[in-house]
Amino acid sequence: MTDVRKLAIYPFLTESKEFVRKMNITIDEILTDIVYEKARLFGVERVMNALDKGDVGDRKLRSESDFISEILSHAVAKMIAVCVKDNFVIRRYALGEAVHAYRHLVNEDIDFILSVCKDLKLNVERYDGGVKIHFIDYLEYAPTSYQKWKLINRTLDRGFVHIENKNLRDLIRIVQEAVMKKIILDISDKVCIDTVEDVFRKEIERIREYLARRKKRLSSRPVGKVNLADIPPCMKEILSMIQSGENVPHMGRFAIVAFFHALGISREEIFKLFSAAPDFDEERTRYQIDHITGRISSTEYSPPGCDKMRTYGLCPTEKMDDICRSVKHPISYYWKKVKK
Amino acid sequence: MEKDETISFLKERFGEYYRKNRIELPDRFGKREFAFMPFGVKMMKRHLSFKRKSDLINYITNMIPAHAYYSSAFYQNPGAPTMEEKGWMGAELIFDLDLDHLEKKKARTYEEGLMIIKEEFTRLVEEFILGDFGFDEKYVKLYFSGGRGYHCHVTDPRVLHLDSSGRREIVDYIIGKEIDERIIFKERIVEGDDIGRRRSIKRLEIPRPDEPGWRGRIGRSIIDIIKNLDNEDVVRSLIETGIRKKDIERLKSEMTPDRILRIEREGRIDQSPFIRRFFLKAAIRRIAISSVAGETDEPVTCDVKRLIRLPTSLHGKTGFRVCPIDIDDLEDFDPLYDAVVFSDDPVTVELKEKFTITVKGETFDLAKGRCRVPEYVAVFLAGRGIAKIINSE
Repeated sequence: MTDVRKLAIYPFLTESKEFVRKMNITIDEILTDIVYEKARLFGVERVMNALDKGDVGDRKLRSESDFISEILSHAVAKMIAVCVKDNFVIRRYALGEAVHAYRHLVNEDIDFILSVCKDLKLNVERYDGGVKIHFIDYLEYAPTSYQKWKLINRTLDRGFVHIENKNLRDLIRIVQEAVMKKIILDISDKVCIDTVEDVFRKEIERIREYLARRKKRLSSRPVGKVNLADIPPCMKEILSMIQSGENVPHMGRFAIVAFFHALGISREEIFKLFSAAPDFDEERTRYQIDHITGRISSTEYSPPGCDKMRTYGLCPTEKMDDICRSVKHPISYYWKKVKK
Repeated sequence: MEKDETISFLKERFGEYYRKNRIELPDRFGKREFAFMPFGVKMMKRHLSFKRKSDLINYITNMIPAHAYYSSAFYQNPGAPTMEEKGWMGAELIFDLDLDHLEKKKARTYEEGLMIIKEEFTRLVEEFILGDFGFDEKYVKLYFSGGRGYHCHVTDPRVLHLDSSGRREIVDYIIGKEIDERIIFKERIVEGDDIGRRRSIKRLEIPRPDEPGWRGRIGRSIIDIIKNLDNEDVVRSLIETGIRKKDIERLKSEMTPDRILRIEREGRIDQSPFIRRFFLKAAIRRIAISSVAGETDEPVTCDVKRLIRLPTSLHGKTGFRVCPIDIDDLEDFDPLYDAVVFSDDPVTVELKEKFTITVKGETFDLAKGRCRVPEYVAVFLAGRGIAKIINSE
């Protein structure tokens, strides 16, 4: 049995959930009973911190009941995120939990880290000198668009990727991603409970306002000389997916960077567009942009044409307009639209 | 008219094969999309699905396709016309090695090409699929494509849900793409003894030959190249992989016995950046699988929804069978024996040009014009469009 203090740091673990289940309280009690007021306050704080700072944050916990409130607040936060019904909020919240877990896991001993891996169903084993993770799990969670994380730059032996003890943070980075995906999955099949909407009416309203401001800011901001209203539907689609944190295939990211680069948009401007993503990774994004625009590679890539976009399933056929039908390249679309 | 005779001959021969032989059906065949190319028309019939085994068999024996394919993916509604409506559920991992993708070595004949591609395929299976990726043999199925290549299907349940970026990583791994020099040549700080004074020295080392994965492979390859710089075969094979002769000459002149010894004994390679770059490039080119489809821009192995030839069907351009191969039999497998299904009854054909081919150990050195050849050669020539069938009674 893990210490309640630890469960409070990692409330997404099966054991934490089991702990809550054994308390035998109803959702209604958590939402309305005065006893759980602290859990509700902490829950709001978790969501707000995730949105503002990208980390659900630490609270001052003094008593056993504080620890329990902290565990419960995770459930409260998830219920709030479900009721906002917005992809960006869900992803940003899940990231906030995952980053929080990462920050604490780096101070844990290896046995505990391995028990977390096991709980997340990651196939991880120890070997003399380090830990190894099955490459399928590695590919699912490691940020492989970054060169150092590419499978080829790892030691792969009989199905397992080796991580030396001195690089244990790499394993924790993978755990972070797995936590984020687990929480997103957890939230995605839940429906909003009416009581949550009543109890947290003010807070949910605040989050919605925050979202509206953000949306306005993003769409009204010109990118270099380019007005985002003039870019083709395929690029709009990719951009909005990136900004809401949906999983954009590598080819999509490539296409949009090459597209903006071809229009003469600076690397810095492209970078800003990406930075709106809930799980924005500064270093990785810079690397990708520099790579595609030819700054750190020998090739300066040109954006794919409509045929290729279709091949890769990146052409949203239902959103095609007349200009789309008259051109063969996203760049031609832009020039045609601007001249109109 | 003559062309029609050729087509009806091929259809008649293929038809008999499909009536007499049992087609090996893929797992979950009811969830797969099937596609067929008829004889004489370049139009693929796609988006077909079959609920019962007998429906599929009947379809094939009635249509008698020149080429038969199924999807590596399985779908909720495999017969639906668009991807959205199909509903993707998962896909096997497919490796497709084909002579058409082979750039580094120019094969002179079909037979020679098939040998080169088999060597490459064997390396892919042994070193990468069973070695580094560690797939269990029971999930690894090998096939001769019936044409100019080999396919490997990995059916491990864990790979079925891998998305296209994960598959891309696997392809990049086997083709040696974006390898980081700093990960191969590692800097190590050693305590040196410099005339009685201790101090630390930085040095660059090549990977030890016994290390796993790419590092060990590159370490072994570098030592192999060094030992054989005077061997003409090795030099030729380096040139064939695209290494410049000029660079090999320069390397030879820079490789003093003293330097060779240091690399061999201590793995030290800090002498010159030229040497380092040369070895990395040469080693990668020798080891990487180069003829994998997908090396070009087209998404192939990393495509999660591609069509692949139906095992045990016939290839319309050769008449050879898409032949399953046991891993243990791969070494002895000879497509020009083992994938031949037609008889040696004589058939009269008219060749458009001279052609030479060796099938079942017999070399047919054929001149332009009419001649009589065994049925399996006639099907091959007709399928490739090199010959017309004159009589088929």
